[in-house]
Amino acid sequence: MKKNYTRTKPPEIDRRKFLTSLGWTGVGLSTLIASIGNLLYLKPAIDYGPPTLLRVGKPEDFKEGIKEIFETERVAVIRDKKGFAAISLTCTHLGCTIRTSEMGFECPCHGSQFDNDGFVTGGPAPKTLDWYQVAIAPNGELEIDKSIKITPGTYFKV
Amino acid sequence: MREIDTKQVFTKDANKTYGLMELVKGTKPTVGLQPDDMVFTWPHLLIRELVLFVVVTAFLLVSAFFFDAPLEEIANPNHPPNPAKAPWYFLGLQELVSYSAFIGGVLVPTFIVVILMLVPFIDRKKIGIGKWFAKERSFANGIFLTFLIIMLILIIVGTYFRGPNWEFVIPWETGGLH
Amino acid sequence: MKIKDELINLNQQKQKGWFKQFWSNLYRSIFRYGKIPQDAEGQSYAVFNNLFLHIHPVKVSRHSLKFSYTFGLGIIAAILFLILTFTGVWLMFYYFPSATEAYNRMLDLRSSVDFGFVLRNVHKWAAEAMVVVVILHMARVFFTGGYKPPREFNWMIGVVLLLLTLGLSFTGYLLPWDQLAFWAITVGTSIAGYAPIIGEPLRKFLLGGDTVGQEALIRFYVLHVVILPGLMVIFMAIHFWRIRKDGGLSHPSENEPTKKGNSR
Repeated sequence: MKKNYTRTKPPEIDRRKFLTSLGWTGVGLSTLIASIGNLLYLKPAIDYGPPTLLRVGKPEDFKEGIKEIFETERVAVIRDKKGFAAISLTCTHLGCTIRTSEMGFECPCHGSQFDNDGFVTGGPAPKTLDWYQVAIAPNGELEIDKSIKITPGTYFKV
Repeated sequence: MREIDTKQVFTKDANKTYGLMELVKGTKPTVGLQPDDMVFTWPHLLIRELVLFVVVTAFLLVSAFFFDAPLEEIANPNHPPNPAKAPWYFLGLQELVSYSAFIGGVLVPTFIVVILMLVPFIDRKKIGIGKWFAKERSFANGIFLTFLIIMLILIIVGTYFRGPNWEFVIPWETGGLH
Repeated sequence: MKIKDELINLNQQKQKGWFKQFWSNLYRSIFRYGKIPQDAEGQSYAVFNNLFLHIHPVKVSRHSLKFSYTFGLGIIAAILFLILTFTGVWLMFYYFPSATEAYNRMLDLRSSVDFGFVLRNVHKWAAEAMVVVVILHMARVFFTGGYKPPREFNWMIGVVLLLLTLGLSFTGYLLPWDQLAFWAITVGTSIAGYAPIIGEPLRKFLLGGDTVGQEALIRFYVLHVVILPGLMVIFMAIHFWRIRKDGGLSHPSENEPTKKGNSR
């Protein structure tokens, strides 16, 4: 008589398949981790550029309504009734260095225009100029931190 | 059919000057239907390559003696030129960026690369192969030609018709900006 | 001439002087099948026994040799790459990827180094020509239907080669460190910065910082002289290899026969 061996439930995955997929998962994961490691290595970790912290002088050296330009640092310091502001001079369009104009700022490369607060008034620039954090250094000078960007329009009060 | 004795197939015959070099998948031999269609690489192809090499090298040497590669003043981050332009092959994109940064800088280049990659999978019909501007595929050729012409026009506009503040200028009226 | 005959011939050369015989043995050890091949056998061996020639098939179709079919664009692009590699390596002897030094080296190449201006000019014009030729080559392949099966993959490799060519040209643009270079790269990388999510990281990645400076120069230099040319060589090898595997250049005989009565 023929014996009938029936399984109540066939195994969904046999050992060979399981080990194979486990192996491939291992290969895949190690590749992924290695790639991430390599990318992290290439990610600029240290800023070798000009220092991000700069001291620009005592608050009382600045006159109201005049844009003080720091060309090499690409920063304009503005004194207003509301306080102090440090606005980036790097155009948000394609990275050119902008200059002051009667209305505020303008980019000589592609004609973007900004008002005194760095808001776009014309040209191809897509967004407002960056505002950097302003603080008072221990020696009483104004200190600008170019690595910290703040909401445009927030003036620093002395 | 299933049991091919590979030793038999690849046996070396001392009297033969040829051997089996490789197996190529295909429905017909690539030698072509008419035997006349094939010629020897040596000398027919090699002589053409040599001539091209000599012509290209000579052309470059002559251009190198007559036209100097541009060299402006040393880089100065504080004084951007007006206008500042990307390399010429990106000027089409820069022209688009001056209308919309997202469209010109992201959408169009991504779209171009993706479509170019997919071209052979969109148009798979084996007609009009091996002939310039075959009538059977004038539609596909028309689209590609239009694309090339649009890119060319954008590059020319970006190169010659854009002056200070990226305003439109007529090159021969402003006394040769470039 | 049969190989066997040649070998016998070699053994019978004993009457020659020792130097002539050595020379002949040396020559034969390098080029086994005579000088200029005269017959079909010699022509075949000349191609597939030579490392540099065996990238070619032994025979090619007449159609693919017609200048009016290809205008030699693919081969011109490869020749330009060879010329660029040669002149590029030669320029590396004098170039220095430093923001303070690079520009001076350009001036030295132009004024002091013998033939320096020739190498720089050839490198520059060959690079511009390569961008144009690669685009024209792509247009040629499209207009002759060369991307159709079985050549889909090779078309895609070709697109990658176009992108690599643009990448090589763009990274090379910064190296002279003049005003043109600086602002073209500032503008170009800013365009890349507009991509959503990856744009800004990619820009910082390329520049090694926020603005174009010394870090950007060294990164572009490494990309330009090692990474991108290396990738280029790999993809070119696949591209050439696939031409042969896909049965040579596209040919009218590959067209599927149209419906009966419609004979074209």
